[in-house]
Amino acid sequence: MAHEVELQTAGNMWKVLVKPGDAVKAGDTLFIMEVMKMEVPHEAPADGVVAAVNISEGEEGLDAGFVAVVID
Amino acid sequence: MLEVIKPGLETSIQDWPGRQGYLKCGFPWSGPMDHWSFRLANVLVGNAPGAAGLECQFIGPTLRFQRDGVFALTGADMQAKLDGVPVPAWESIAAKAGQTLEMTFAKVGARAYLAIAGGFDNEVFFGSRATFHKGGLGGMQGHAIKAGQVLPVAAGQGVAGRRVKPSARPVFVTDKRWQVEVCAGPNDDWIDEAGQQRFLSTAWKLSSKSDRGGFRLEGPEWTFTERAYNKPPEHGSDPANIVDHGYPLGAINLAGQTPIILVNDWPDGGGFINPYTVPTCAFWKLGQSKPGETYQFVQLSVEDAQAEARRITALCAESSIE
Repeated sequence: MAHEVELQTAGNMWKVLVKPGDAVKAGDTLFIMEVMKMEVPHEAPADGVVAAVNISEGEEGLDAGFVAVVID
Repeated sequence: MLEVIKPGLETSIQDWPGRQGYLKCGFPWSGPMDHWSFRLANVLVGNAPGAAGLECQFIGPTLRFQRDGVFALTGADMQAKLDGVPVPAWESIAAKAGQTLEMTFAKVGARAYLAIAGGFDNEVFFGSRATFHKGGLGGMQGHAIKAGQVLPVAAGQGVAGRRVKPSARPVFVTDKRWQVEVCAGPNDDWIDEAGQQRFLSTAWKLSSKSDRGGFRLEGPEWTFTERAYNKPPEHGSDPANIVDHGYPLGAINLAGQTPIILVNDWPDGGGFINPYTVPTCAFWKLGQSKPGETYQFVQLSVEDAQAEARRITALCAESSIE
Protein backbone atom coordinates (compact mmCIF):
# COMPACT_ATOMS: atom_id res chain seq x y z
CA MET A 1 0.00 0.00 0.00
CA ALA A 2 1.36 3.40 -0.94
CA HIS A 3 1.93 5.94 1.82
CA GLU A 4 1.75 9.62 0.96
CA VAL A 5 3.86 11.95 3.08
CA GLU A 6 2.30 15.41 3.14
CA LEU A 7 3.99 18.65 4.18
CA GLN A 8 3.08 19.34 7.79
CA THR A 9 3.59 23.06 7.48
CA ALA A 10 3.97 25.88 5.00
CA GLY A 11 7.62 26.80 4.50
CA ASN A 12 10.78 26.09 2.55
CA MET A 13 12.47 22.82 1.64
CA TRP A 14 15.81 22.76 3.41
CA LYS A 15 17.11 19.23 2.87
CA VAL A 16 15.86 16.27 0.87
CA LEU A 17 17.45 13.07 2.12
CA VAL A 18 15.90 10.44 -0.17
CA LYS A 19 15.53 9.78 -3.90
CA PRO A 20 13.22 7.45 -5.84
CA GLY A 21 14.24 3.83 -5.39
CA ASP A 22 15.69 4.28 -1.89
CA ALA A 23 14.62 1.72 0.71
CA VAL A 24 13.44 3.40 3.92
CA LYS A 25 12.36 2.19 7.33
CA ALA A 26 9.55 3.63 9.40
CA GLY A 27 10.92 6.60 11.33
CA ASP A 28 13.70 7.44 8.84
CA THR A 29 13.90 11.15 8.10
CA LEU A 30 12.87 11.78 4.47
CA PHE A 31 13.29 15.54 4.27
CA ILE A 32 13.58 18.58 6.51
CA MET A 33 11.53 21.73 6.03
CA GLU A 34 12.43 25.12 7.38
CA VAL A 35 9.86 27.59 8.61
CA MET A 36 10.60 30.75 10.57
CA LYS A 37 14.12 29.50 11.49
CA MET A 38 12.71 26.21 12.80
CA GLU A 39 13.54 22.79 11.33
CA VAL A 40 10.66 20.43 10.68
CA PRO A 41 11.83 16.89 9.90
CA HIS A 42 9.36 14.60 8.13
CA GLU A 43 9.69 10.87 8.76
CA ALA A 44 8.69 7.75 6.86
CA PRO A 45 5.35 6.43 8.20
CA ALA A 46 6.23 2.84 7.21
CA ASP A 47 8.92 0.61 5.76
CA GLY A 48 9.07 0.64 1.97
CA VAL A 49 10.66 1.99 -1.18
CA VAL A 50 10.50 5.63 -2.21
CA ALA A 51 8.28 5.75 -5.29
CA ALA A 52 8.16 9.52 -5.84
CA VAL A 53 9.83 12.69 -4.56
CA ASN A 54 7.81 15.74 -5.55
CA ILE A 55 9.95 18.40 -3.87
CA SER A 56 13.51 19.63 -4.21
CA GLU A 57 15.98 21.41 -1.96
CA GLY A 58 15.68 25.17 -1.95
CA GLU A 59 12.00 25.33 -2.90
CA GLU A 60 10.28 28.23 -1.19
CA GLY A 61 6.72 29.10 -0.29
CA LEU A 62 5.44 25.52 -0.13
CA ASP A 63 1.97 24.92 1.31
CA ALA A 64 1.01 22.45 4.03
CA GLY A 65 -0.81 19.36 2.79
CA PHE A 66 1.21 19.01 -0.44
CA VAL A 67 2.18 15.35 -1.11
CA ALA A 68 5.99 15.53 -1.02
CA VAL A 69 7.05 11.88 -1.00
CA VAL A 70 5.27 8.64 -1.86
CA ILE A 71 6.44 5.36 -0.34
CA ASP A 72 5.38 2.00 -1.77
CA MET B 1 -2.62 18.93 34.29
CA LEU B 2 -2.16 18.96 30.53
CA GLU B 3 0.34 16.32 29.51
CA VAL B 4 2.39 17.04 26.39
CA ILE B 5 2.30 14.05 24.03
CA LYS B 6 3.71 15.93 21.00
CA PRO B 7 4.95 19.49 21.47
CA GLY B 8 4.17 20.90 18.00
CA LEU B 9 6.46 23.54 16.57
CA GLU B 10 7.96 25.62 19.39
CA THR B 11 4.60 25.82 21.17
CA SER B 12 4.96 28.18 24.11
CA ILE B 13 3.09 29.56 27.09
CA GLN B 14 2.38 33.27 26.67
CA ASP B 15 0.39 35.86 28.54
CA TRP B 16 -0.72 39.35 27.61
CA PRO B 17 0.56 42.05 27.65
CA GLY B 18 3.62 40.04 28.61
CA ARG B 19 6.73 40.98 30.54
CA GLN B 20 6.43 44.75 30.49
CA GLY B 21 8.68 47.08 32.44
CA TYR B 22 12.01 45.25 32.08
CA LEU B 23 13.41 46.51 28.79
CA LYS B 24 16.22 47.98 30.88
CA CYS B 25 17.17 44.39 31.82
CA GLY B 26 17.03 43.33 28.18
CA PHE B 27 13.69 41.51 28.49
CA PRO B 28 11.26 42.17 25.66
CA TRP B 29 7.53 41.92 26.31
CA SER B 30 7.09 38.56 24.55
CA GLY B 31 3.42 37.50 24.74
CA PRO B 32 1.11 36.26 21.97
CA MET B 33 1.65 37.72 18.50
CA ASP B 34 -2.07 37.70 17.65
CA HIS B 35 -3.28 39.11 20.95
CA TRP B 36 -6.79 39.61 19.54
CA SER B 37 -7.38 35.86 19.07
CA PHE B 38 -5.48 35.08 22.26
CA ARG B 39 -7.63 37.29 24.47
CA LEU B 40 -10.86 35.95 22.98
CA ALA B 41 -9.76 32.40 23.83
CA ASN B 42 -9.40 33.43 27.45
CA VAL B 43 -12.74 35.25 27.50
CA LEU B 44 -14.44 32.09 26.19
CA VAL B 45 -13.27 30.03 29.17
CA GLY B 46 -13.98 32.71 31.76
CA ASN B 47 -10.38 33.80 32.34
CA ALA B 48 -9.03 37.33 32.46
CA PRO B 49 -8.24 38.24 28.80
CA GLY B 50 -4.51 38.25 29.45
CA ALA B 51 -4.26 34.95 31.39
CA ALA B 52 -1.51 32.52 30.36
CA GLY B 53 -2.39 30.34 27.36
CA LEU B 54 -0.59 28.40 24.63
CA GLU B 55 0.67 29.89 21.40
CA CYS B 56 0.82 27.15 18.74
CA GLN B 57 2.70 28.00 15.55
CA PHE B 58 2.32 26.28 12.16
CA ILE B 59 2.06 22.79 13.70
CA GLY B 60 0.01 22.38 16.87
CA PRO B 61 0.65 20.06 19.82
CA THR B 62 -1.04 16.89 21.02
CA LEU B 63 -2.10 17.17 24.67
CA ARG B 64 -3.79 14.84 27.14
CA PHE B 65 -6.11 16.12 29.86
CA GLN B 66 -5.21 14.69 33.26
CA ARG B 67 -8.40 16.11 34.77
CA ASP B 68 -11.67 17.52 33.47
CA GLY B 69 -11.36 21.01 32.05
CA VAL B 70 -12.94 23.56 29.73
CA PHE B 71 -10.76 24.87 26.90
CA ALA B 72 -11.08 27.02 23.79
CA LEU B 73 -9.13 27.34 20.56
CA THR B 74 -8.93 30.53 18.52
CA GLY B 75 -6.73 31.92 15.76
CA ALA B 76 -5.41 29.64 13.02
CA ASP B 77 -7.40 26.53 12.11
CA MET B 78 -5.18 23.58 13.11
CA GLN B 79 -7.90 20.97 12.50
CA ALA B 80 -8.14 20.05 16.18
CA LYS B 81 -9.69 16.78 17.30
CA LEU B 82 -10.66 15.64 20.76
CA ASP B 83 -10.32 11.86 20.93
CA GLY B 84 -10.52 11.82 17.14
CA VAL B 85 -13.67 13.95 16.89
CA PRO B 86 -13.25 17.37 15.22
CA VAL B 87 -13.82 20.28 17.60
CA PRO B 88 -14.79 23.78 16.52
CA ALA B 89 -12.63 26.83 17.14
CA TRP B 90 -13.96 30.05 18.71
CA GLU B 91 -16.05 28.00 21.13
CA SER B 92 -15.53 26.71 24.68
CA ILE B 93 -15.41 22.92 24.96
CA ALA B 94 -15.50 20.54 27.91
CA ALA B 95 -12.84 17.82 28.03
CA LYS B 96 -12.84 14.83 30.35
CA ALA B 97 -9.82 13.47 32.17
CA GLY B 98 -7.95 11.11 29.84
CA GLN B 99 -9.10 12.74 26.61
CA THR B 100 -6.52 13.74 24.00
CA LEU B 101 -6.56 16.98 22.02
CA GLU B 102 -4.68 16.63 18.75
CA MET B 103 -3.81 19.56 16.51
CA THR B 104 -2.07 19.39 13.12
CA PHE B 105 -0.89 22.00 10.64
CA ALA B 106 -2.33 25.49 10.31
CA LYS B 107 -4.74 25.52 7.39
CA VAL B 108 -5.79 29.15 7.52
CA GLY B 109 -3.58 31.52 9.53
CA ALA B 110 -0.33 30.55 11.25
CA ARG B 111 -0.90 30.68 15.03
CA ALA B 112 -3.60 29.04 17.11
CA TYR B 113 -4.27 29.85 20.75
CA LEU B 114 -5.40 27.47 23.44
CA ALA B 115 -6.87 28.85 26.64
CA ILE B 116 -7.99 26.66 29.50
CA ALA B 117 -10.30 27.62 32.37
CA GLY B 118 -8.09 28.73 35.24
CA GLY B 119 -5.16 29.54 32.97
CA PHE B 120 -1.70 27.99 32.94
CA ASP B 121 -0.04 28.23 36.29
CA ASN B 122 3.64 28.06 35.43
CA GLU B 123 6.05 30.17 37.46
CA VAL B 124 5.77 33.95 37.21
CA PHE B 125 9.13 35.42 36.22
CA PHE B 126 9.56 39.20 36.44
CA GLY B 127 5.84 39.75 36.43
CA SER B 128 4.83 37.40 33.61
CA ARG B 129 4.41 33.76 32.65
CA ALA B 130 5.31 34.48 29.00
CA THR B 131 8.09 32.50 27.34
CA PHE B 132 11.10 34.42 25.99
CA HIS B 133 12.82 31.63 24.05
CA LYS B 134 16.06 33.41 23.21
CA GLY B 135 16.57 34.52 26.78
CA GLY B 136 15.65 31.09 28.12
CA LEU B 137 13.21 32.54 30.63
CA GLY B 138 9.52 32.38 31.48
CA GLY B 139 7.22 29.62 30.24
CA MET B 140 8.25 26.04 31.01
CA GLN B 141 11.86 26.28 32.27
CA GLY B 142 12.47 29.11 29.84
CA HIS B 143 11.58 27.24 26.69
CA ALA B 144 8.92 25.88 24.37
CA ILE B 145 6.92 22.97 25.76
CA LYS B 146 8.45 19.50 25.45
CA ALA B 147 7.02 15.99 25.14
CA GLY B 148 6.48 14.39 28.56
CA GLN B 149 6.00 17.66 30.43
CA VAL B 150 2.86 18.28 32.43
CA LEU B 151 1.67 21.87 32.04
CA PRO B 152 0.25 23.17 35.32
CA VAL B 153 -3.23 24.68 35.21
CA ALA B 154 -4.88 26.70 37.99
CA ALA B 155 -8.37 25.79 39.19
CA GLY B 156 -11.07 27.47 37.14
CA GLN B 157 -14.75 27.31 36.34
CA GLY B 158 -15.40 27.27 32.63
CA VAL B 159 -18.68 26.88 30.80
CA ALA B 160 -18.83 24.86 27.58
CA GLY B 161 -20.77 25.94 24.49
CA ARG B 162 -19.93 29.65 24.59
CA ARG B 163 -19.06 31.07 21.18
CA VAL B 164 -17.40 34.23 19.91
CA LYS B 165 -19.79 36.20 17.70
CA PRO B 166 -18.48 36.11 14.11
CA SER B 167 -18.48 39.92 14.03
CA ALA B 168 -15.96 40.00 16.92
CA ARG B 169 -13.38 37.70 15.32
CA PRO B 170 -10.39 38.75 13.22
CA VAL B 171 -10.71 37.69 9.58
CA PHE B 172 -7.60 36.06 8.13
CA VAL B 173 -6.77 36.46 4.46
CA THR B 174 -6.75 33.36 2.29
CA ASP B 175 -5.04 34.86 -0.77
CA LYS B 176 -1.65 35.36 0.96
CA ARG B 177 -1.89 39.16 0.66
CA TRP B 178 -2.23 41.22 3.81
CA GLN B 179 -2.86 44.92 4.23
CA VAL B 180 -0.92 46.00 7.32
CA GLU B 181 -1.18 49.35 9.06
CA VAL B 182 1.96 51.42 9.66
CA CYS B 183 2.67 54.73 11.32
CA ALA B 184 5.43 56.97 9.96
CA GLY B 185 8.52 57.34 12.06
CA PRO B 186 10.51 57.66 14.16
CA ASN B 187 13.09 58.05 11.33
CA ASP B 188 10.91 58.55 8.23
CA ASP B 189 12.79 61.78 7.48
CA TRP B 190 15.86 59.68 6.57
CA ILE B 191 13.98 58.19 3.58
CA ASP B 192 13.47 60.34 0.50
CA GLU B 193 10.10 60.95 -1.16
CA ALA B 194 10.67 58.24 -3.79
CA GLY B 195 11.70 55.79 -1.07
CA GLN B 196 8.59 56.51 0.98
CA GLN B 197 6.32 56.04 -2.02
CA ARG B 198 8.16 52.83 -2.93
CA PHE B 199 7.70 51.50 0.62
CA LEU B 200 3.95 52.14 0.58
CA SER B 201 3.36 50.81 -2.95
CA THR B 202 5.32 47.54 -2.64
CA ALA B 203 3.94 44.14 -1.69
CA TRP B 204 6.74 43.14 0.73
CA LYS B 205 7.36 39.42 1.01
CA LEU B 206 7.73 37.87 4.45
CA SER B 207 11.02 35.96 4.50
CA SER B 208 11.40 32.55 6.06
CA LYS B 209 14.40 34.04 7.89
CA SER B 210 12.03 35.44 10.49
CA ASP B 211 11.13 34.50 14.04
CA ARG B 212 9.48 35.91 17.18
CA GLY B 213 12.24 38.54 17.35
CA GLY B 214 11.99 39.94 13.85
CA PHE B 215 10.06 39.54 10.59
CA ARG B 216 12.43 40.03 7.68
CA LEU B 217 10.94 41.52 4.51
CA GLU B 218 12.04 41.12 0.88
CA GLY B 219 11.50 43.93 -1.59
CA PRO B 220 13.12 46.79 -3.47
CA GLU B 221 16.11 48.90 -2.44
CA TRP B 222 15.69 51.94 -0.20
CA THR B 223 16.76 55.47 -1.03
CA PHE B 224 17.64 58.13 1.48
CA THR B 225 17.61 61.85 2.17
CA GLU B 226 20.69 63.98 2.53
CA ARG B 227 20.86 63.51 6.29
CA ALA B 228 21.54 59.77 5.86
CA TYR B 229 24.80 60.63 4.09
CA ASN B 230 25.81 63.95 5.55
CA LYS B 231 26.01 63.10 9.25
CA PRO B 232 28.57 63.10 12.08
CA PRO B 233 30.86 60.04 12.08
CA GLU B 234 29.41 58.62 15.32
CA HIS B 235 26.28 57.73 13.33
CA GLY B 236 28.22 55.10 11.39
CA SER B 237 29.08 54.66 7.73
CA ASP B 238 25.98 53.04 6.20
CA PRO B 239 23.13 55.37 5.16
CA ALA B 240 20.84 53.35 7.47
CA ASN B 241 23.18 53.74 10.46
CA ILE B 242 22.30 56.13 13.27
CA VAL B 243 23.87 56.69 16.65
CA ASP B 244 22.55 53.89 18.90
CA HIS B 245 18.96 54.49 20.02
CA GLY B 246 15.99 52.62 21.39
CA TYR B 247 13.85 50.48 19.05
CA PRO B 248 10.09 50.59 19.62
CA LEU B 249 8.03 47.40 19.37
CA GLY B 250 6.81 47.11 15.79
CA ALA B 251 9.62 49.24 14.37
CA ILE B 252 10.46 48.53 10.75
CA ASN B 253 14.17 48.43 11.37
CA LEU B 254 16.29 49.05 8.30
CA ALA B 255 19.37 46.82 8.58
CA GLY B 256 21.35 48.27 5.67
CA GLN B 257 18.86 47.55 2.85
CA THR B 258 16.83 44.86 4.68
CA PRO B 259 13.72 45.95 6.56
CA ILE B 260 12.93 43.82 9.62
CA ILE B 261 9.73 44.31 11.61
CA LEU B 262 10.69 44.04 15.28
CA VAL B 263 8.07 41.82 16.89
CA ASN B 264 7.33 40.44 20.35
CA ASP B 265 10.80 39.18 21.35
CA TRP B 266 12.53 42.19 19.81
CA PRO B 267 15.99 43.66 20.46
CA ASP B 268 15.27 46.98 22.14
CA GLY B 269 18.09 49.07 20.74
CA GLY B 270 20.83 49.42 18.17
CA GLY B 271 22.27 51.54 15.42
CA PHE B 272 19.88 51.27 12.48
CA ILE B 273 17.08 53.67 11.60
CA ASN B 274 13.38 52.80 11.98
CA PRO B 275 11.55 54.65 9.20
CA TYR B 276 8.12 53.19 10.04
CA THR B 277 6.41 51.36 12.90
CA VAL B 278 3.70 48.69 12.79
CA PRO B 279 1.26 49.59 15.58
CA THR B 280 0.13 46.86 17.98
CA CYS B 281 -3.39 46.97 16.49
CA ALA B 282 -1.93 45.29 13.37
CA PHE B 283 0.11 42.63 15.16
CA TRP B 284 -2.59 40.01 14.76
CA LYS B 285 -1.96 40.14 11.02
CA LEU B 286 1.76 39.57 11.52
CA GLY B 287 1.01 36.66 13.83
CA GLN B 288 -1.29 34.99 11.32
CA SER B 289 0.86 35.35 8.21
CA LYS B 290 3.18 32.71 6.78
CA PRO B 291 6.55 33.07 5.04
CA GLY B 292 6.07 33.86 1.37
CA GLU B 293 2.93 35.90 2.02
CA THR B 294 3.00 39.62 1.31
CA TYR B 295 2.35 42.82 3.22
CA GLN B 296 1.01 45.95 1.59
CA PHE B 297 1.49 48.72 4.12
CA VAL B 298 -1.19 51.33 4.69
CA GLN B 299 -0.16 54.45 6.54
CA LEU B 300 -2.34 55.83 9.31
CA SER B 301 -1.96 58.31 12.13
CA VAL B 302 -0.91 57.34 15.63
CA GLU B 303 -4.35 58.48 16.83
CA ASP B 304 -6.14 56.19 14.36
CA ALA B 305 -3.87 53.28 15.33
CA GLN B 306 -4.67 53.86 18.99
CA ALA B 307 -8.40 54.00 18.21
CA GLU B 308 -8.16 50.67 16.38
CA ALA B 309 -6.28 49.13 19.33
CA ARG B 310 -9.07 50.31 21.65
CA ARG B 311 -11.69 48.87 19.30
CA ILE B 312 -9.97 45.47 19.38
CA THR B 313 -9.59 45.56 23.15
CA ALA B 314 -13.31 46.36 23.49
CA LEU B 315 -14.07 43.28 21.38
CA CYS B 316 -12.00 41.03 23.68
CA ALA B 317 -14.77 41.04 26.28
CA GLU B 318 -17.89 39.23 27.47
CA SER B 319 -20.05 41.30 25.09
CA SER B 320 -18.51 39.37 22.17
CA ILE B 321 -19.76 36.01 23.47
CA GLU B 322 -23.02 34.39 22.33
